[in-house]
Amino acid sequence: MNPLLVIDVVRFEIRRSLSPGRVAIWSILVLFPIALMTAVRLLGNQTSESEEAWGMALYFLVPEVVCLLGLLLWATPAVSTEVEGQTWIYLAMRQSGRNLVLVGKYLTAVLWSCSAAFVATTVCTIIMGSAGGIWLWCVICILSLLSCLAHAALYVLIGTVFFRRTMVTAVFYTLVVEYVLAFVPAMANRLTINYRLRGLLADWMDWSTARTVTETIGGQESAWVHIVVLLATSVALLSLSILRLTWTELPTQQEG
Amino acid sequence: MIQLEKVSKLYGTVVGANDLTVELGPGAYGVVGPNGSGKTTLINLLTGQLRPTIGKVTVFSQDPWRNRKLLRRIGLCPATDVLYPNVSAYEWVTYQVRLHGLSPADSKQLATESLAQVQMTDNMHRPMGEYSLGMRQRTKIAQALAHRPELLILDEPYNGLDPVGRHDMTQLLIKLGEQGTSLLFASHVLHEIEEITSSFLLIHGGRLLASGTAREVEQIIADIPQEVILIGPDVPRLIPYLADQAWVDSIQLLAERTELRIGLRDPSNLYQSVADWISKDQLQIDQFQTANSNLAAVFESLLRHHRGESK
Repeated sequence: MNPLLVIDVVRFEIRRSLSPGRVAIWSILVLFPIALMTAVRLLGNQTSESEEAWGMALYFLVPEVVCLLGLLLWATPAVSTEVEGQTWIYLAMRQSGRNLVLVGKYLTAVLWSCSAAFVATTVCTIIMGSAGGIWLWCVICILSLLSCLAHAALYVLIGTVFFRRTMVTAVFYTLVVEYVLAFVPAMANRLTINYRLRGLLADWMDWSTARTVTETIGGQESAWVHIVVLLATSVALLSLSILRLTWTELPTQQEG
Repeated sequence: MIQLEKVSKLYGTVVGANDLTVELGPGAYGVVGPNGSGKTTLINLLTGQLRPTIGKVTVFSQDPWRNRKLLRRIGLCPATDVLYPNVSAYEWVTYQVRLHGLSPADSKQLATESLAQVQMTDNMHRPMGEYSLGMRQRTKIAQALAHRPELLILDEPYNGLDPVGRHDMTQLLIKLGEQGTSLLFASHVLHEIEEITSSFLLIHGGRLLASGTAREVEQIIADIPQEVILIGPDVPRLIPYLADQAWVDSIQLLAERTELRIGLRDPSNLYQSVADWISKDQLQIDQFQTANSNLAAVFESLLRHHRGESK
């Protein structure tokens, strides 16, 4: 796959998706954690400067909520919007159209979500004051990036398997697997992306409560194991999506 | 160029294509059939968007489903509209060419040339959301042409074009044909195709009912039973004449004896005789309708013929 072609697909996708609606949603995603953190800062206990409490809140709001919401909106319907808009045929008629467009749309969704996450993290860290700090900012940004890479691949795969009722399926999967199963102290939770992200947070921040909770729910894998698993999961899910899309007969238009 | 060997395509229990066998060399062909007849299924099979349930499809001696590189040699103008409102025709066509792996500079050059071919140069930098249906149609044709395909497949390409646009498009397609580009032109309007090519594939219910030149197809249609309707107060007086004719299959007198439906094998016999009978007896006949001027009715007749019901 020609990386320059992928860049051109990303450029086109950003160009075509740069609409007032998209910018408004992006702004809401950025403002949502900022508003909550500001409210807590203004209304909460001013003396509480627990880095762990603030950091856990920021982790939950950005890599687990902002990133997932953004990706649900932008990665999940990557294929289904083209199918429903009956524009898929134009892309599928190109020599490498299917694969290139899928990877391009995946990266575009990652870019949109990551940018929202990075801006929100930066502003929130400033709001947090002394409870924040550059290390927490770095950790949350890296976790946001990993969250986006892995979740986007997952949602793109869901989108290629269920190109009808895609969003419902993705939301159901997220709630059941990523939010519930990830907290279940069993082997199954290791298959979730959020388990890995929480493990990394506990590892890098070395917060006592977070570490205890993580060790209770899961194991004591090193940060490298979590990173390798997350990246491998992203590549595997994306490859499965490409494979699925290459050999799937997608509806092209009303039959004539 | 194109070979279909006993190709059938099923969508669950629905038959999209039914035992299609055809071989087409380079040239221009019209695929004619009513809406829902299977034209788009045929196109999707030829472009590798669908895999045949049974049978074998080859285009340029290759299987389009397995060999996507083949798409570089095919241009498709689908029937569906393009909805990228904030992108210009120039950006979109350039992007489409680029997806074939051509360099950015070549993609821009080819996009500019193809948009000029469809007279979109003046508007090619405007967002497509501001385009009329006709302009979007021209843009669609430009993306199909831009990478210089050897085979151009057009699915209802005249949709949305005004008469001037249709004329320009017809001239463009004729010119492309003369330059050696093979054309496969699907439409449910016969005369649109007749201007471009005299070779037809008639398709209905997923079946290939007939193929050949316009004259050959006309002969097939002439040989199968068709229906003619005569309306007027004196139509019952034609019955004695008709009853004696060997080429008349059935006669029905309807609508309070003012409508006469005649089932016949060769309407040309009727056309030759009826004027004489009317003139001879000074009959008042207000309307002469050929039910089969409706393309769907012609296809129903052909389908019955194909099934052997009209023999």
